[in-house]
Order: sequence, then structure tokens, then C-alpha cells
Amino acid sequence: MDDAEAIKRCQQGEQECFRHLVERYQKRAVAHATAILFNRDDADDAVQEAFIDAFKAIGTFDTARTFYQWFYVLLRNRCYKLTAKRRPTESLDESMLLTSQSGISGETTLGLENALHSLTAEEREIVCLKYFDGLSYDELATHLQIPRGTVMSRLFNARRRLQRKLVPEREV
Amino acid sequence: MKEITCEDVLMSQMAAADCEQPEFSRQQLSTHIAACANCQHELKQSEALDQLLAGHTLSESRVDLWPAIENRITKRTSAAFHWRPFALIGLLLVIYKLLEMLPARDLGMAFKLVPLVIVVLLFVFIKENPFRINTELVLER
Repeated sequence: MDDAEAIKRCQQGEQECFRHLVERYQKRAVAHATAILFNRDDADDAVQEAFIDAFKAIGTFDTARTFYQWFYVLLRNRCYKLTAKRRPTESLDESMLLTSQSGISGETTLGLENALHSLTAEEREIVCLKYFDGLSYDELATHLQIPRGTVMSRLFNARRRLQRKLVPEREV
Repeated sequence: MKEITCEDVLMSQMAAADCEQPEFSRQQLSTHIAACANCQHELKQSEALDQLLAGHTLSESRVDLWPAIENRITKRTSAAFHWRPFALIGLLLVIYKLLEMLPARDLGMAFKLVPLVIVVLLFVFIKENPFRINTELVLER
């Protein structure tokens, strides 16, 4: 079953078809929520709430968009509501956000995660979407509902802060 | 022509590295970079960061949220499903009572059977037989 059919059948009241969407996108959604929240339990909660929101609003889904693009707006709303409530976590002892390719040490990955942790949630989100999901600036602008110029400046500032935090340490 | 600053150069270089259209021409950028030690240093750091980021992906760990989501969806839909038919039956009974209270109007015997029809419809809807004897009930000792 493809997404369009699952959504159509959900709109007709077939609740079981929503399972297809949850099972297809939950891993990706949890990874994105973890990138924003930097806490796995909170990420699971946010994703669950976002899927409930999506189920309630499935009748208003515009089939011209992809499901995940539409769902991502609900997900980030849930994540930012949670970030406003929760205190930020301390630095990390073990990797939870990233997987490294062969040849990169666990220490380097943890260093990168801690550097990402020092960014704001919005900066972290844009870095993850750009460099791990490979979205273009225009796609980022659509995803985050901000102008292209803001995409560039936010990304630039985030990269600068990452460099300050990370690269000097690596050079020592 | 707009004067080019270090920040303009670094942002344009970032855009170029990200396969996007930079704001300034390649020639403008290389002229500035050749004469600017600060930009050269920043670009080296930027390349190192690009390499580091390229060596990582987001972890997609095992997760199964469906049971919890299904549970909440089912509760929600069953709660929404139940109150409407009962509200409709209540409304029909109120309308019946109001019609019955109208003075000087005899609607005949058939009208008096309306509440009975509503009750029968209710049992049909909830799929219960009021005359069925439940043999599973056991007296407590």
C-alpha cells in the first residue's frame, strides 16, 4: 500500500491503514525529534503526540504534499512545545543521535554530538536536515516555513558555532 | 557593485559547497580569499567540519510506537462514536414529547407507537437482544 492510498483509506475511517504510516515513518520521526530535543524519551513522546495530531487532522491532508512533509510540521510543533517545558540536558556521555561511518572513532562522534548539543534546537534542526538528510536550501525553507535567506543565515551561524566548538579541539 | 565582506565570502563559499548558487561570482570570491588570511583559516575549518559531518548519519534506532498510538486512537474513536446515536435518540424523544404536548391535535394510535419504535431502533443499533437470557451469569456462593 502506498502513502496516498493509506491516507485516502484513513480519511474514509479505516483506522488500521494509519498503522502503515506510523510504521513507515516512526524511525525517521524519532531521529528528527531526537535532533531537536536531544532526549530519546522526549522524542518518543513528541512523535507519539504528533502521530495522534496527524490522525485527528488527516481529513485536512492535502494530497499534493508528501505525508512526511505535512507530518513534519506537526512533529516540530510538538518538539518545540516540549523544549519550552523541559530543562536542557547536560553534556552527553554516550552517542544517541549519530551513527558514524567506518574509520571514525566513537570519541569523535561523541565530540560532534556534544558540539551539536551546544547549539540551539533550531540550529541543530537545520544542521541535521541539511547535512544528514541532504535537503536543499529551498527544501529547508519549505520544511521549516522560513525564507531562503533565513535558511542561509541560520545555517551559517550554526556552522560557525560548531566550528568554534569542534575544530580547534580537533586541531590540538 | 556591493563591497564584499568576509561574512559574504564565507556564506557564499558555504552555499557553493552545499551545491547552491552563491551570491557572488567565483572570481570575486577567489580574489578576496587570496588576499584574506582570516577567510583562508575559516575555510579550512569549514572544510574540516564538512568532512566530519559527511562521515555521520542520523541514527534510526528500533522503535515501535504503534501499540501506544493505536490504543489512544481507539479510545478516541470509540468515545466519539458512542455519544452521537444516543444524543439523536434523546432528541427524537424530546421532539416526540413536544408534539404530544401540542393541544387539540390527535395524531392517532400510530403516533403513540413512536417511542416503542425508537427503543427498538436503539436495541438494533447497540446489537443487543433485551429478551436474551444470559446463561453465563453465575450466582455468587
